[in-house]
Amino acid sequence: MRLLIVDDSNMIRTRISRVVQNGGLKNVVITGLARNGHEALRIAKAARPEVVTMDLTMPEMDGIECIQALIAFDPKINILVVSALSDKSTAIQALKLGARGFVSKPFTDEELQIALLDVADVHQEP
Amino acid sequence: METLNEDDLKMFVNSIKRYLQVTTRQEPQITSAFLGTSDVEGFEFNGIVTFSGSYNGHVVVSMPPKLVREILLLQHETDLSDGNLLDAVGEIANTLAGNARKAMGPDLQISVPIKLQGAHGMKARVRKRPYVITLRWNHHLAMVCVDMERLH
Repeated sequence: MRLLIVDDSNMIRTRISRVVQNGGLKNVVITGLARNGHEALRIAKAARPEVVTMDLTMPEMDGIECIQALIAFDPKINILVVSALSDKSTAIQALKLGARGFVSKPFTDEELQIALLDVADVHQEP
Repeated sequence: METLNEDDLKMFVNSIKRYLQVTTRQEPQITSAFLGTSDVEGFEFNGIVTFSGSYNGHVVVSMPPKLVREILLLQHETDLSDGNLLDAVGEIANTLAGNARKAMGPDLQISVPIKLQGAHGMKARVRKRPYVITLRWNHHLAMVCVDMERLH
């Protein structure tokens, strides 16, 4: 499974990478790290990720705009929103636009792993 | 315009406690919460998020470098440069502000975080009477300053 991580915080990008690499998600390959929606679109067009973790509050192009653009580019892409905007209306808006799941910040490693597996429907090796 | 009420402040207190508990597994001790002045002295690393929409103002997370380094180390981060410490306090401020929408409603708009290095960073952003929450985490002091008012 190819994964693109989108977040304007280096701390969060690194943390998600570590959770993926050390957390038992053995068949996940990180294809890119993006700091905003523009970078995410550019990387997605080149690397064709199957799963994207998406922050919402970002400079230049925010996560809501980026979800719309990514879904238009690849309707099958699996987007997991990872955001501090944890109110119900934001989550509903993201899901209506095509996101498959939502994780609220702050999150534990376990919460992120479960959500990633759920969104990607990844079957792990025993 | 209305100032924040006790429940609003409790929400920010609970939010910083939860942030540190979830990310480091160590809950901070809240040492005080008071109505401060514009002279409030912050710490070296400051993350600031601006509110607009149904509120205006800021939330400022102000932390000393040792505390931010320890938070990053507990997350197995190896880049402990000043730039990454600033990124971390910005992300903490972003999380507190984003979580506030759950209580204050979707009309609360939040900016991307601004990061300022230097103890003057807190002073640069607060007005006359900010609410100040001080805390101790793992023997280090830190501060969250909430300076916002409801517009309607």
